Amino acid sequence: MKKISSLLIFILSTSICLCQETFPTNGVENNYKSPIAFVNAKIHQSSSKVIEHGMMLVQDDKILSVGDSITIPKNAIIKDLNGDFIYPSFIELISDFGIEAPTKTEFSYTPQYESKKTGPYHWNQSIKPEVNASSIYKYDGDDATKYINNGFGMVLSHQNDGIFRGNGTLIIISDKRQNQTIIEDKAATFYSFSKGVSRQRYPTSLMGSIALFKQTLLDAQWYEQTNKKELNLSLESYNQNKFLPKIFILNDETDYYRLFSIADEFEIDFIVKGNGKEFAVSDQLKKFNFPLVIPLNFPNAYDISNPVYTDWLSLKKLKEWELAPYNLNIIAKNKIPFAITSSDLKNKKDFLKNLRIAVNHGLKREDALKALTETPAKLINKYHLIGSIEAGKKANFIICSDDIFIEGDIYENWVDGERNVIKEKNNEDIRGYYTFNSTSLKDLFVEINGDIDKPKIKIPSLDSSWMSSHLKYNKLTFFSKQISFRAVCKIYNGLGEGRAQTKEGTTIDFVLTKDSSIVIKSKKTNNSNIDTVPPKQLKPNVSYGFEKLPKKNDVVLTNGTIWTNEKSGVLNRADIAFSNGKIVFVGKNIILSDVFSDTTSVQIIDATEKHITSGIIDEHSHIAISRGVNESSQAVTAEVSIGDVINSNDVNIYRQLAGGVTAAQLLHGSANPIGGQSALVKMKWGSLAEEMKIKSDVGFIKFALGENVKQSNWGAFNKFRFPQTRMGVEQVFYDAFFRAKNYKKEWEEYNKLSLRKKRNTTPPREDLELNILSEILDKKRFITCHSYVQSEINMLMHVGDSMGFTVNTFTHILEGYKVADKMKKHGAGGSTFSDWWAYKFEVNDAIPHNAALLNSAGVITAINSDDAEMGRRLNHEAAKAIKYGGVSKEDAWKMITLNPAKLLQLDKKMGSLKVGKDADIVIWSDEPLSIYAKVESTFVDGRLLFDHNYNEKLMSRDQKEKARIISKMATSRGEKQKIKFEKEDLYHCCKHRAINYYE
Amino acid sequence: MNKNLFFSILIFLPLITLSQKRTLLIGGTAYVGNGDKIENSVICIEGEKIDFIANSSEIKIDPTAFDTIIRLHGKFIYPSFILPNSRLGITEIDAVRATHDFREVGSFNPHVRTKIAYNTDSKIIGTLRTNGILVSQVAPIGGLFSGQSSVFYLDGNNWENAVCKSDDGIHLNWPRSYNKSGWWAEPGESKRNKEYQQKVLKIEHYLDKASSYFNNNGEKIDIKMESMKGLFDGNKTLYVHADYYTEIIDAIDLLKKKKIKKIVLVGGEEALMAKKTIKNNNINVILNRVHRLPSKAGSSIYEPYTQAKLLHENEILFCFSYEGDMEVMGSRNLPFTAGTSVAYGLDYNIAVKSLTLNAAKILGIDNELGSLEAGKEATFFISDGDALDIMSNNLFLAFIKGETIKLTNHQTELYEKFK
Repeated sequence: MKKISSLLIFILSTSICLCQETFPTNGVENNYKSPIAFVNAKIHQSSSKVIEHGMMLVQDDKILSVGDSITIPKNAIIKDLNGDFIYPSFIELISDFGIEAPTKTEFSYTPQYESKKTGPYHWNQSIKPEVNASSIYKYDGDDATKYINNGFGMVLSHQNDGIFRGNGTLIIISDKRQNQTIIEDKAATFYSFSKGVSRQRYPTSLMGSIALFKQTLLDAQWYEQTNKKELNLSLESYNQNKFLPKIFILNDETDYYRLFSIADEFEIDFIVKGNGKEFAVSDQLKKFNFPLVIPLNFPNAYDISNPVYTDWLSLKKLKEWELAPYNLNIIAKNKIPFAITSSDLKNKKDFLKNLRIAVNHGLKREDALKALTETPAKLINKYHLIGSIEAGKKANFIICSDDIFIEGDIYENWVDGERNVIKEKNNEDIRGYYTFNSTSLKDLFVEINGDIDKPKIKIPSLDSSWMSSHLKYNKLTFFSKQISFRAVCKIYNGLGEGRAQTKEGTTIDFVLTKDSSIVIKSKKTNNSNIDTVPPKQLKPNVSYGFEKLPKKNDVVLTNGTIWTNEKSGVLNRADIAFSNGKIVFVGKNIILSDVFSDTTSVQIIDATEKHITSGIIDEHSHIAISRGVNESSQAVTAEVSIGDVINSNDVNIYRQLAGGVTAAQLLHGSANPIGGQSALVKMKWGSLAEEMKIKSDVGFIKFALGENVKQSNWGAFNKFRFPQTRMGVEQVFYDAFFRAKNYKKEWEEYNKLSLRKKRNTTPPREDLELNILSEILDKKRFITCHSYVQSEINMLMHVGDSMGFTVNTFTHILEGYKVADKMKKHGAGGSTFSDWWAYKFEVNDAIPHNAALLNSAGVITAINSDDAEMGRRLNHEAAKAIKYGGVSKEDAWKMITLNPAKLLQLDKKMGSLKVGKDADIVIWSDEPLSIYAKVESTFVDGRLLFDHNYNEKLMSRDQKEKARIISKMATSRGEKQKIKFEKEDLYHCCKHRAINYYE
Repeated sequence: MNKNLFFSILIFLPLITLSQKRTLLIGGTAYVGNGDKIENSVICIEGEKIDFIANSSEIKIDPTAFDTIIRLHGKFIYPSFILPNSRLGITEIDAVRATHDFREVGSFNPHVRTKIAYNTDSKIIGTLRTNGILVSQVAPIGGLFSGQSSVFYLDGNNWENAVCKSDDGIHLNWPRSYNKSGWWAEPGESKRNKEYQQKVLKIEHYLDKASSYFNNNGEKIDIKMESMKGLFDGNKTLYVHADYYTEIIDAIDLLKKKKIKKIVLVGGEEALMAKKTIKNNNINVILNRVHRLPSKAGSSIYEPYTQAKLLHENEILFCFSYEGDMEVMGSRNLPFTAGTSVAYGLDYNIAVKSLTLNAAKILGIDNELGSLEAGKEATFFISDGDALDIMSNNLFLAFIKGETIKLTNHQTELYEKFK
């Protein structure tokens, strides 16, 4: 055995590369590398392998051997570590170390639609897979020190900008020549949803970023198949590097499901750098199954000294503050492989502190070590080289005074076999009581106390106060201002010898003898009061969130006034029952046993004097959308989808439920003639974004006309995008649909080819925008078109008729009453505002009688909100159809229930109270169209998601929960952050107010 | 319903056109405006004024003493709903800058007046009248001191004959303690306003200057200072626009110290938090639009709906307004915002009072307007049903200063054309 190991050492030591072989030497060659043996150390080889009293032999940049007892060559320098701890150096995967941030081009009011980058690169400036980190890397000494001090030895560095960011390079943190320090030129590639410094308009929204991401992946595939029809170095770089690990920088926890669906669709294994709020998706992490790289930044506690401001502190923010330190604990419990990064820390000095906070909150030390060494090494396929202390691996390790995950300091960080001293080790604790003796001053009592590194000294007979003192390498200097006494001495093993100078200027030699040590109280912080079980989260984890999602119970509502929206009309004193989310009975005198097989669990609710309706459906809503409702850049953006950016945490979902709304079409904004795809959702408060989506065979898309798309009210600088007139708008549509037709034809021809022929033919380029437009031509996707004046309404119907599609719905359609007969003939429905007008020039002729007139012309007519506030009282808006134009009550009610269901092609499942339809049911205190009607309960798919009594309970629970966390915050230490005023972000496509009037 | 309306008009219109000297309205349910309700009422209009109002069972009527008698059985009579703090007539289309006459350049403009900019032929005016709003205060906006409002009747051929009260007050926009960045399409986050304190000091200095000018009996005319004089002698009300607690208490504190005679708080999103200060200083409040979202994600979802009720319970006098997005054309919904407050606990009669007499008190026009009382102006309307509920708010007749007004507008004309 010994023979083998010594043989191994021989082989290893001869194989040590003599570096810089290609470089000439100035002077004489200096290539002797002495072996160094570290003995008497507690060596953490890896998270699972610890040697209590270990030895390690290192030569040049390599570890030669490690173990309980190893052969140490005679020429080795021996370092006795006295029980210190050795760990592998940490590995940082997320960094822009040594890489300059790209500069933003100068701001201009004139919008930039095309790339300003020269060269045969991607058309969009945020797509730059060609960025090669190693060729722009330059060692940065200040940054290096920060990494070294925190125990890092290697950094994967990339340029932190854009959606496709290019590759990262694996660097040893050392100022040696880059030929030696760059271990792997291209070690991984990097991605994000953030556009970065690019000032090109596209993309303006998160959904735009997502679409651009997908299209680029498709283009790269296509580029490989074609014979470089056009040169594109960006796509070429992507293809060249596509087998490297892919690291996605994710800045928002709600982006996980977005990335997951891309990963799923394109079969890409992403490594995800998270944002520290993974606890928010903890029950999804297993499903996503991304290896994670997690930052250690925890939000500071808020300054809660002012009660007026604490009112503004949301439960969400409070809960996030409380949960953040548990984040790594929660991830580890889910058994997700994860690495830890210091990347998001504003102050890098917080790294060890926060690491220990995470450990105190239940992160196991082994897991922490693994996350800083083995896991990052494995994620970039470099575990054979780094990430543990094993013979043959890089000599990258740290020497620490104690278990680094609990306390103590890093003394040294050895990187590539080079020693970096972080903190000098004082070999001896000099604190104690001494006697001072010199020829003139005899038997003086001396006390040395304080910190082990920064001891204080007092000689009461000379000066009753503590002298200023300094200790370095056992050399203690001290000085008394009062008596101008200065001294220096070296202390070893309780004996000090030194020289002092008195006020008078006489120099004396003295001796210090230690009489006794000082009993040092253990400074170990008592963290036993920290609960390592994470606090519970709500669904969603914000105000009004559920502790548990309400169940789909068997329910009967009895003796109420039921607005069926069916032939039976309004039933008085009737009953309705539902089970497993579907309506099972509507009528009079229900017999439970006829309806339910098991009547014992049926919940009976007395609805005497109450009104019962199907849930309101808002045909036009912009709530619950993340980071941009408009991809306002290009005139045609069919490729973007609201379905990608649903935000299930928006409190407006709950508020809509309180207004009786159970479903809505979440629409793209109206900034372009062809906008993005809509999402049809149910107001499933407490469910995930994906679960909110209504399953449907068909999809919808937003089109728009008029002032918004021709940028009439965008200010003087937006005069560049085509179209700027209604004339141009028509041409945009014709162009889009002619392109779509050609595209369809190309694919149809290609798909007709035999397999053999296909192999020899370049396939057409897959275009996400044209895919969607083709769906319209195939009648798989339907249009909701924002529209105001009659000329443009008429125009779009002509475009549709000639290109072979029907405009499903004109939304807003404020001059619809002028062309109602034409709409009827074309087959379009209308979804209108009840009474909005006069906010833009084009709505001068909008009248509140519009809904009544459209309805009487036989057009399927709905009334919509386009507004989070109006959305929660759509019953008022429906009542306006009665006031203006004299629509019957039942017809008015259908305008916010059955008719929007028809327009959204959901009327088979929703919109009326009928056996077999979804149990989306609202109980009202009064006739629902009355201003005095209040929603008492709202069921969605049979779940009671809003109840006015339960609402009170949720409010008081939230209040208590806030108070609990605030009082916890009151006792927390550390820096405090100011409370921000959290006004919600609300989207509309129509509201207009020219100026922010307040100072 | 429609048939009835047609029938009634047929009967009474000729009578009305014959003479308007003395008109008797009998049988309607009258909401007096002061919190009372008279079922089966009789109201006599003589010229511009209400001659008397009574319960028909308590009074003997000689039919020959009237030129016109209108039977209103089953109908409801309300004093004009009053819309305070509006941009009506000084803006037509929000997106068209050429129609904006509400925001003068600079921060200190106490001298500018909406009175002379008011467009009596704004198409929007007619759409408010048909919902029961016959009187509106038209106020400038923006800056710190944004200028002077006037109160108008929603009828007239020019501002001179439409004005009800000239230059009733000066509007002060209390600086916001926070600023919101971004715009509706890309909302940004809100930040503390670092200049808040500085701006408050500027206001303080300006008021000091105005007070000094007022006491000096100026030899040299300064038109800005001249316009501020009314604040110190009680001829003008200071309408201070403030929403949040800190701003409200800072504003009241300063204005009281500076001896401003009449102060009205406009906005008052967090008025309930500052209720003690508001009440102790006898400040009346023009409320924010009831149909708004709660101020914070964690606020009660009903917060805007219950505010009126809670203010009333705390004995704070208030009226409703419609300031905010889409405000001018949307303000015809003012009565329904009061209706919503009723749904959430405010007494119906108090809701009517807030739309009428309380609003008149706050604007200082309650001697002539605000309630159906003998001696007051005959500016009121008759609705087929409950005017606070959308379904039944349907105007049958409306009077401004004793004259019936047209109940058609741009929109009803288009409706008739395309019906």
